[in-house]
Amino acid sequence: MNITRIGAIFEKDMKDFMKNPSLFIMPLMPILMAFLYERIGNGEELPLLMIYIIIGTTFAANASGCLMIMMVEEKEKMTLRGLMMSPASIVDIIFGKSLVAILLTVGSLVISLSIIGFTGTNSFQAIIGLFFALLFFILLGIGIGLFVKTIASTQVYLTPILFIFGMTPFIDFLGLEKNSLGLRIGQAFPLPQLIKMNETGSWIHLGVVGIWVVGAAIFAYIFFAKTRIDD
Amino acid sequence: MGNVIKVEKLEKKFKEQTAVKEVSFEVGQGEIFGLLGPSGAGKTTMIKMMTGELAKTSGNCEVLGMQPEQYKTARFKSQIGVLSDNSALYERLTVNDNLKLFCKLYNAPLSSVKEVLQIVNLEGEEKKIVSKLSKGMKQRVLLAKTLIHKPALLFLDEPTSALDPGNTAHIHYGLKKLNEAGTTIFLNTHNMEEANMLCNRVAFLSDGILQEIGKPNELRYKYSNHAFHIETNSGERLVLDNSPENAEQIARLIADKQIKEMHTDNPTLGEIFLKVTGKELVV
Repeated sequence: MNITRIGAIFEKDMKDFMKNPSLFIMPLMPILMAFLYERIGNGEELPLLMIYIIIGTTFAANASGCLMIMMVEEKEKMTLRGLMMSPASIVDIIFGKSLVAILLTVGSLVISLSIIGFTGTNSFQAIIGLFFALLFFILLGIGIGLFVKTIASTQVYLTPILFIFGMTPFIDFLGLEKNSLGLRIGQAFPLPQLIKMNETGSWIHLGVVGIWVVGAAIFAYIFFAKTRIDD
Repeated sequence: MGNVIKVEKLEKKFKEQTAVKEVSFEVGQGEIFGLLGPSGAGKTTMIKMMTGELAKTSGNCEVLGMQPEQYKTARFKSQIGVLSDNSALYERLTVNDNLKLFCKLYNAPLSSVKEVLQIVNLEGEEKKIVSKLSKGMKQRVLLAKTLIHKPALLFLDEPTSALDPGNTAHIHYGLKKLNEAGTTIFLNTHNMEEANMLCNRVAFLSDGILQEIGKPNELRYKYSNHAFHIETNSGERLVLDNSPENAEQIARLIADKQIKEMHTDNPTLGEIFLKVTGKELVV
């Protein structure tokens, strides 16, 4: 890992972000959603599930969505090959590119949570859980960004990510039977696991999210390696 | 001087199609080596295998004393520069932003930006947004990006294909200067004039097969019919083969001060390519 190279990629991405309107809309999505929920909630404190849905939407739109667009754009315009052919390592490139997405995610999350009146948590476990979830969404965004062929097709992938991973807790409102396969699969996803961890205090759920992180890391690595070499 | 590239029976197959077939050659340190061939001959595939962008099917490929599994190391990447059809710039950023990024990635001093812009004749253009540049200017910024870290070995794939003659001449001058400073250059081109002007040695690639290799002068001599074209003072034009009888006639004409103009019939690289491969160099 090389700090100068990570800094250089971050600086370049930040300048590029300022001139890229397709990325501006992403941080606004969860903020608008938080505003809507706050209105519906009529000033009352929102349930944990709703808070996690806002967190999930923020992560999916910013960490995954922005990175996906940034990666696919680099790939489509063939600038990614330049980075890969430079002495920057895979870690330097991923770190450098993730920093802008992390900044956007944190900024958007702070604004969204303050709109719904969430004052924050002191739970070390919850903070670790959020860090794992952020890592998962970042790696998922990078992996899909490298997998997708064109910028135009990112929307096709962004929407399912938003619903499947960002809003998974909504599955509780679908009226599925308690022990149904659909519900059990849905609850194994990262966000429901974090909610369960909050409710029970068990570290096992964090382990499950950890497995999702490892899976996303392998997914991102496979497509990174594939992008470096031509077929 | 040692070899910086050593390729032995290198082969690349794409499913059933063989793009490069058992190619062998060496490039010495400080050389400008030209790989000549028409589009689709396998020149780009060769560069991609030598830079680790494409896996070889078989054979050996040693670059800067390293094997292909080492081509993804920072040590290898910091010693090479690649300008190919896969090279691109960040269009929303300025020329300066693009070059500064690569300065930092290669750990080169920021003063290199000015130096490389001078080489590619783009001084004073650093504040321009890349998307606003012409195709030729973009190509020159790409070349500047490739040179920013003063690589020991430079791979150039048709570097002047989008440039006008003036800028091409400037780039050629810059490349010669770089070469004089010690950079080895591997040049893919179908421009025989470019090869003639720059290269110490050239190789002809056609349908993935290496057909001929040598110094341009030696090749011209080898494929020359060794005939003398003479125009006498009386306006007579003679074509005399290289034979003892003709040598006597030429000596006589010289002694009688009858020769207005005399030259040998050396073929151009393009003509040699056509002779060797049966194909035109520019397709």
